[in-house]
Amino acid sequence: MIGANEPLIEWDWVSRHTDEIQDRLWQHLSLTVVAVGIGFALALGLALIAVRWRWTYGPLAGVAGVLYAIPALALFGFLVSFPQFGLGFRTAEVALVSYTLLILLRNIVTGLDSVPAATREAADGMGFEGWRRMLRVDIPLAAPVIIAGLRIATVTTVGLVTVAGLVAAGGLGELITEGLGRSFSTPIVVGAVLSIALAVVLDLAFLALEWVLTPWARVREPRGGET
Amino acid sequence: MTDAPAVAPEAAASPTEPDAGAAAIRLERLTKRYPGAAAPAVNELDLAIPRGELVALVGPSGCGKTTTLKMINRLVEPTGGTVWLEGTDIRTLPVHELRRGIGYVIQQAGLFPHRKVADNIATVPQLAGWPRDRVRARVTELADLVELDPDLLDRYPSALSGGQQQRVGVARALAADPPVLLMDEPYSAVDPIVRARLQDELLALQQRVQKTIVLVTHDIDEAIKLADRIAILKVGGILAQVDTPEDLLRDPVDEFVADFLGDDRGIKRLSLMRVRQARVSPGPVVAPAASAAEARAVMTTHATDWVAVVDGDGCLAGWVGAAALDGAARVGDLAPESFAAVVHPDTTLKAALDGIVTSRTRVAVVVDAERRYQGVLTVDDLAEGVTR
Repeated sequence: MIGANEPLIEWDWVSRHTDEIQDRLWQHLSLTVVAVGIGFALALGLALIAVRWRWTYGPLAGVAGVLYAIPALALFGFLVSFPQFGLGFRTAEVALVSYTLLILLRNIVTGLDSVPAATREAADGMGFEGWRRMLRVDIPLAAPVIIAGLRIATVTTVGLVTVAGLVAAGGLGELITEGLGRSFSTPIVVGAVLSIALAVVLDLAFLALEWVLTPWARVREPRGGET
Repeated sequence: MTDAPAVAPEAAASPTEPDAGAAAIRLERLTKRYPGAAAPAVNELDLAIPRGELVALVGPSGCGKTTTLKMINRLVEPTGGTVWLEGTDIRTLPVHELRRGIGYVIQQAGLFPHRKVADNIATVPQLAGWPRDRVRARVTELADLVELDPDLLDRYPSALSGGQQQRVGVARALAADPPVLLMDEPYSAVDPIVRARLQDELLALQQRVQKTIVLVTHDIDEAIKLADRIAILKVGGILAQVDTPEDLLRDPVDEFVADFLGDDRGIKRLSLMRVRQARVSPGPVVAPAASAAEARAVMTTHATDWVAVVDGDGCLAGWVGAAALDGAARVGDLAPESFAAVVHPDTTLKAALDGIVTSRTRVAVVVDAERRYQGVLTVDDLAEGVTR
């Protein structure tokens, strides 16, 4: 237990450990970005399969759902018990990626489904090849829903990376683990506050990305008169 | 249509049509049977679409008109028969090349919401890899052609009205200057006033570009107004009749076609005919210098209680009634009243009829562009034109 007369945060400790804190923050960010990046690539591939061969969507979403339902701690523990994983970055990534899949897969498929049938038909009728239509019409139009999925997946992953500290994967979770082990509140507070801040910053970054990528979605000019 | 009888199977499978003739598109025994459907959606349809003509496919819902249209650009694959495009079996062309060579206008325009109006119009030229300068020049040219405000080119489609979006849809379809245009219920989503204006614009545009156009509509009046030829389909994609609007209205082949045309076929025919095609009577006319007695004599001859006043240059001044002549020495001393119904040689007979039935004198006065008097039209004259 943390002593009652101890201050919540000792600034001395913080200033003596800025390098470690920076490292942990950087690890946290890379764990998150790599997990969401790989998760997005996998989910996009799966979504394209699910959209092309509709019957595969149920099974794919089912598997992703089961992965999502496994408690994080249990999955980390399970993976650590395999010699080829063990403690560290790789183990953490496998677990983190598997958590992003369901959210990303669902949002990409929902986004692609939301493209109006008339728009798709117009594109086909103009002579877009299938892949080009996907790239130039379907995915850009699905972007708001896809980015919404990326925001949820990223914020979730930032939180899960904290738990990954338990498998010595690095990240701000290690600060928290250290504080818990020593009954010392300062690293706990630093780890928690920074991981929240990281989640907020990444979320805002995606909002900005959406703003840049979908100028058409925010156009709500008054309609011109009939001429 | 005069098809060569009993084409041998090998000949039917050849990629070029032996006798293309004047038809830009020819549908030959075209059939679409959807899996699980009891009856075909389109059944062995034979139809020739002459080059440079606007052919309307009309019929009740379920008649397969849209399915037929989509088989021309292979958005729907036929299960039987052949579509010949300029003498070539369209199955022998790469599907994307085929579609880039056919303009396509769909309901509610179907614009790409994420691309600016200019990029929407440039879709096919960009797909075909035109150089940027040429694309830009073409977009400007098309905006002018469809009467679209150039300021709108930099907007997204959501900022445009329904009518403006539809103009962009037409510009986009025309972008690569395809010889053939397919239009699927293009004006069904705009209000009647805008629709009428867009229809007029299409007619004017067609005068300039002379495309082969296949137009699907459920609106027989739209077909009558726009089409050179109308194909009426029955449920199941069976051709009931194909003819010019005039011939269709005069001689519907059966009850189905007559019903589909509606119970005002005579009035509809009037909408296709112009004043210059009708018999125009000289009517009761006097010069301003005529005396009251001369004017009365003209009224008696024509059995009217009014006379038209036409000056020395042949220009129409108006009319005076019998009652007004009392006490006047000359017709020119009176202020003539204006005719309620003044029509031009280009006015439709339907509009002339409307003028006749709403005017006090029961005639429509015909004047030319310089307002010179040509004569009068009566209900009898119109009836003569329709029954002729």
